Amino acid sequence: MTSGVESQRRSPDADLPAALRVRSLDVTFTGRRGTVPAVRGVDLDIAAGEVLVLLGESGSGKSVTARAVMGLLDPGGVRVSSEQIRVAGHDLTSADPEQVRKLRGQTMALVFQDALSALNPVLSIGDQLGEVFRLHRGLSRRAARTEAAELLRLVGIPAPDRRVRDYPHQFSGGMRQRILIAMAVALGPRLLIADEPTTALDVTVQAQILQLVDRLRRELGMGVLLITHDLGVAAEIADRVAVMYAGRIVETGTVAEVLDGPAHPYTAALLRSVPDLAQPGDRLRPIPGSPPNLLALPTGCAFHPRCDRVTEECTVTRPERRPLAVPGRTAACHHAEEAVDAPV
Amino acid sequence: MPPSDHPAGPGPASADPAGSTPVVGTPTALSVSAGPNTSGPLTADSPANGEPLLVATGVRKTYRAGRGLGGRSRVHAVDGVDLTVSAGETLGVVGESGCGKSTLARLLVGLERPDSGQVRYAGLDVGTARGVRRRELRRAVQMVFQDPVASLNPRMPILDVVAEPLDVHRLARGATARRDRVAELLEMVGLSPDMMRRFPHEFSGGQRQRIGIARALATEPRVVVCDEPVSALDVSVQAQVVNLLAELQQRLGIALVFIAHDLGVVRHVSHRVAVMYLGRLAELGPAATVYQDPAHPYTRALLGSVPVRHPRERGRERIVLAGDPPSPVDPPSGCRFHTRCPIAQDVCGRDAPALLVPESDTPTAAGQRLAACHFAGTP
Ligand SMILES: Nc1ncnc2c1ncn2[C@@H]1O[C@H](COP(=O)(O)OP(=O)(O)O)[C@@H](O)[C@H]1O
Ligand SMILES: Nc1ncnc2c1ncn2[C@@H]1O[C@H](COP(=O)(O)OP(=O)(O)O)[C@@H](O)[C@H]1O
Ligand code: SF4
Ligand code: SF4
Ligand SMILES: [Mg+2]
Ligand SMILES: [Mg+2]
Repeated sequence: MTSGVESQRRSPDADLPAALRVRSLDVTFTGRRGTVPAVRGVDLDIAAGEVLVLLGESGSGKSVTARAVMGLLDPGGVRVSSEQIRVAGHDLTSADPEQVRKLRGQTMALVFQDALSALNPVLSIGDQLGEVFRLHRGLSRRAARTEAAELLRLVGIPAPDRRVRDYPHQFSGGMRQRILIAMAVALGPRLLIADEPTTALDVTVQAQILQLVDRLRRELGMGVLLITHDLGVAAEIADRVAVMYAGRIVETGTVAEVLDGPAHPYTAALLRSVPDLAQPGDRLRPIPGSPPNLLALPTGCAFHPRCDRVTEECTVTRPERRPLAVPGRTAACHHAEEAVDAPV
Repeated sequence: MPPSDHPAGPGPASADPAGSTPVVGTPTALSVSAGPNTSGPLTADSPANGEPLLVATGVRKTYRAGRGLGGRSRVHAVDGVDLTVSAGETLGVVGESGCGKSTLARLLVGLERPDSGQVRYAGLDVGTARGVRRRELRRAVQMVFQDPVASLNPRMPILDVVAEPLDVHRLARGATARRDRVAELLEMVGLSPDMMRRFPHEFSGGQRQRIGIARALATEPRVVVCDEPVSALDVSVQAQVVNLLAELQQRLGIALVFIAHDLGVVRHVSHRVAVMYLGRLAELGPAATVYQDPAHPYTRALLGSVPVRHPRERGRERIVLAGDPPSPVDPPSGCRFHTRCPIAQDVCGRDAPALLVPESDTPTAAGQRLAACHFAGTP
């Protein structure tokens, strides 16, 4: 429904199976404090070679969505259900945990924000990268190390033949993030999920990492699900954007469509709240109130207490996400058509 | 756009420098000697109006480097910084992580003493003042951290959190006066006084930062140094706190130092901006000049790496710096930026450039900009 025409037009690899297709993903945490509906009815479509940015503020359910797709949610205290999760043609909905484990790394890979804690401090980078090849490809230690150096070269680490012998702490934050990306793409996955990969980095290094991800998805033809809270990151690298609020996707479209004419009042408000380097001097226009508490969600539309377009209907009936006039665009708002037409 | 554009409403030209706002410790009451550096190169970065309240001259701070790096090596965290902050203005400080912003903040408020150089508040040495003067300084120069409430006792109600500086400085006599003052402070930062009985964990990130600001304002400071005050907040909430700080800065006429790695936020709140690189100032001047017409290659690279606003700008020409900043343990000789600078020449590795008005600049009413580059202004 969502990616269809739009992404096929853009993608050079349209004849490959979609990198990711998710339908009706629900994730619920059950704990002492109550049940947390962390993710509700999430649909995602990513074509081969396409970058979808999942945009939302903290707590909106982005990381939980990523971990659910990767099959990485701890089984205790959580319920995951979906109509469909397909990664590069593999059906994960019916796969057993062992099959999902095999697909991780080979077919789909995840890059976290915190590169230091994701790396083993007592193993050299060459051994950690090489392990992937030894385990999955049965390479000798020596051959694996050569492959590892090749990977470091691919992600732009200077003097890779020497640096394979170094340990994680001997690399800067930006270099460690490159190494994590190298590890993730080692086996040529069809889907790369990057969860806030640049959030801890300086803008100078962020620019380098985004360039790297952009180059790799072209060279390797991977679909990329890039998670961020930063509109700038979306503007920089996204083909399409899905905006999340309180566990639901509230809007989808190409990045230009969403930035030029946001169809959901939350997206519009988010755009207004970011300082514009080109137009300083205005008062910032914050979104009133605070992000929602998942344990006590507002009735009707979860955004209604903060929304400048709220009507009676919004407080009673939750808006379903529905297609808009432009193919590939969807929004979950009773007044989406008015919002699209309003000046940003 | 007006020549000296400002965050909101009137800027330093129309701000009340020191007068009618209800401040306790006025600079004159504290002065023991005239500020040392109201002339010389520093005048160039002072706004037309508003007296310098805080003056840093040649401040240096080193730390012992961690183990394994040899006993004698030191981290050159801040290495010879000159700047001033005036009443009624916001000075933004930007730079990559590790460039010394937080160290500079601690030096400015007197939480640390410089190895050499001085920070003066109204003529008084912030690093060495003792006794009554130190108390006065503590009261007049306050600091706001990234999450100021996180480090507090979780069982302390907000009333006591905000009142603590009042107690330390004996600024409220009796329980009623204390409570009334806290109510007033909470209202000032947009929180309901009913909240004073609640505990830190009951507040969202944005509310906690408001509480931190209320606490910092309790002593009626003249200078407030904010170190990454909105970095931990979501964008929508960030905007609320940024607006609050800009509004309070103007209403109270305080001197605000706003440190952040987010260039957009800093542009938005600041009248002047200091760009730091490896412990030194690369560029310092009016925000509009520094952002629209950066003279230092590092400033240009930093601005060039800010994400685009729209995909149609993706193809724009930009300098993407290679690698990360070098280690401040053994910083490069000469110009510290020479190892990454796209226009570096031989001289750059030998001689450290001084912070000067670039030759190509013409003086403007909004104030002069300074840059530390042998080829400042060269495209
Ligand atoms: N293991 C867990 N147990 C209970 N609640 C959780 C767990 N993990 C995440 N959550 C909740 O799910 C919601 C979504 O979290 P997350 O996906 O991490 O948000 P985001 O990545 O968008 O910041 C949050 O309210 C979070 O508190
Ligand atoms: N207490 C300390 N001991 C040792 N090194 C320190 C200390 N504080 C800061 N540093 C070092 O000084 C440099 C500047 O740090 P900091 O002022 O925190 O930079 P920023 O705030 O710009 O990120 C960094 O290399 C940092 O590791
Ligand atoms: S449904 Fe109503 S409350 Fe929700 S975003 Fe749309 S207009 Fe606002
Ligand atoms: S002094 Fe030289 S190295 Fe330093 S910024 Fe200027 S041109 Fe670059
Ligand atoms: Mg997350
Ligand atoms: Mg810092």
